[in-house]
Amino acid sequence: MISLATHRRGRSWLAFFTSMKTGLLLLLLLGTLAALGSFIPQGQPEGYYRAYFGELPARMIILFSLDHLYKSWGFLGLGAVLSLNLLFCSLQRWASQTNWRRRGSVILHLGLLVILVGAVLSAALARHASVSIGVGDSRDLAADGFPGLVLTVKDFKIDYYADFTPRQYTSSVALQTAAGREIEHAILVNHPLKLGDLKIYQASYGWMVQGRAVVNGKEQPFDLPSGSSLTIEPAGGRQLLFLFIPDYDAASGGLHSRSPLPRNPRLVAVLFQDQQVQARTILAAGETGAAGGYLVTFTAYRYYTGLEIKKDPGVRVVYAGFIIVMLGFILRYLGPQK
Amino acid sequence: MESTFSLLAYILLLAAVIASLISFWRVNKYTSNLALAALVLAFVSLTLALGQRSLAAGRLPFANLYEFTLLFAWGMLLFYLLSRKYIQSDLLTAIMAVLEVFVISYANTLSAAARPLMPALQSLWLQFHVLTAIIAYGAFGLSFGLAIIYLLKAKGYRDTGARALPPLARIDNLMHWSVVIGFPFMTLVLITGAVWAEEVWGRWWGWDPKETWALITWLIYAAYLHARKTYDWRGKRAAVMAIAGFLAVLFTLFGVTLLLPGLHSYV
Ligand code: HEM
Repeated sequence: MISLATHRRGRSWLAFFTSMKTGLLLLLLLGTLAALGSFIPQGQPEGYYRAYFGELPARMIILFSLDHLYKSWGFLGLGAVLSLNLLFCSLQRWASQTNWRRRGSVILHLGLLVILVGAVLSAALARHASVSIGVGDSRDLAADGFPGLVLTVKDFKIDYYADFTPRQYTSSVALQTAAGREIEHAILVNHPLKLGDLKIYQASYGWMVQGRAVVNGKEQPFDLPSGSSLTIEPAGGRQLLFLFIPDYDAASGGLHSRSPLPRNPRLVAVLFQDQQVQARTILAAGETGAAGGYLVTFTAYRYYTGLEIKKDPGVRVVYAGFIIVMLGFILRYLGPQK
Repeated sequence: MESTFSLLAYILLLAAVIASLISFWRVNKYTSNLALAALVLAFVSLTLALGQRSLAAGRLPFANLYEFTLLFAWGMLLFYLLSRKYIQSDLLTAIMAVLEVFVISYANTLSAAARPLMPALQSLWLQFHVLTAIIAYGAFGLSFGLAIIYLLKAKGYRDTGARALPPLARIDNLMHWSVVIGFPFMTLVLITGAVWAEEVWGRWWGWDPKETWALITWLIYAAYLHARKTYDWRGKRAAVMAIAGFLAVLFTLFGVTLLLPGLHSYV
């Protein structure tokens, strides 16, 4: 008797998983949750929700994981049930189909499943890192989680349209692999470097400034991204901030740049004490000047490029799923009738 | 309103609205032919406006919301004109003409400046993305118009005269067909969008609001197709789902851009 009952329960679970009604319900449920998530900014700190929605709604949002809805157990769990549903449904249908159009439909559903598997692989295995590398510099990517790779930035350039809106950003790089290969490549927006599962993307850029500052009688060299500062007396809260102006407007003396091109480059060194500006000096390359008693020499400037590095073995699986889904569609609608 | 052709298309669409409303109020072959003629000419003008813009910008008009809104109107008009082969109804003409006027009026509030392509938009995948979206959204727009006339007829609205509404089953059938045609293209919209995002940002999916709403749209139409298979949902319920699906399309295109900022803010 007992074995019969379990058997029956097993059957009803199977019926649940193979039922398209379940699938339909899940589609609508996942759609509703996805919509909800699009109205609530995701991944913000708790205080943000309190400021934005009020005390009680914020508590609800945190309680129901609506602040990271797409990664919440509820959402992923429903996705998993949909996957099982798709799997069982497809297996059951494949066995009973002889017609190519029907098979196309099954192939399409299995393709969707492959995409979901790829998504899980992506989420579990993908590695990302953002790096900034000055032109001429090399970086061992082991520190960023990609051992065996050394990346050298040989050049960086920006092409502009006539109105100075950017047309394209190009980083010319050389990548040395653990096997000793050296790959030279131009990385552009929409054209990442690809090496197996590894991809390197053009993400951002900026200027770097080089020079020397005399701090407490000692000469201290610097080579920093524009906008960063040198802490000179930690106890007193003093900082020297360096700003790069590519095209300085001498007539106005303002700190804005007339164009993005380095036509009249200047270094602005600003002395801060407790967040207050104390003094500043504006220097051309090769010049030395004093910012509140600190002597600063500006020697050189260059670009740095911001690159996004990632390795994601899930992408291939997802793309395979895309192809399978489209093949399924073609068979479903255009395949032989018999 | 940047070119004479888009202005002309707008005027013709307004004329089509007026003519179809008249023929609707007083059954009349004359004005109903006039409405159709205006829509055909509006389609031609819109095509010329888009062509002119492509020539002026030296690229396809695929780069900003203004351009895509015109393409959206173009696609819906194309599907409406194709549907004339199967259904001729003054009511459908009036609904589609009103929808077109709304969409183009909205386009006119957007910046029409033909700005050069920013680096992120220089991608072949983006072109396929837009191309498939024109087809999917055009077909869904038609199914929306058909869903409305279905519901009106089912509510007892009686259309008389030369262009009376066809039987309910025929409307339902055509509505189903336009979803069946739109759906694989909607699938391609998601796929090409994912491949583009992977090439440009290094992630094929990121739950950006625009992506999310495209997925929701797709789920609604998938539910439409499955409900028809499982529950044999035709007619009213199917029509309601087709309307919900198209509202999701409109929200993806316009609501998300206005209300929910994200990476797609430039389109
Ligand atoms: C993300 C979810 C899904 C999508 C996008 C999807 C898509 C589709 C499409 C495009 C069709 C063809 C529609 C037509 O012939 O008019 C279809 C048919 C079908 N689907 Fe799904 N499906 C999904 C999930 C499921 C699930 C979970 C099941 C079963 C548990 C299922 C079972 C079926 C069946 C039985 C058919 C009818 C077979 C046929 O007409 O060839 N689907 N689906």
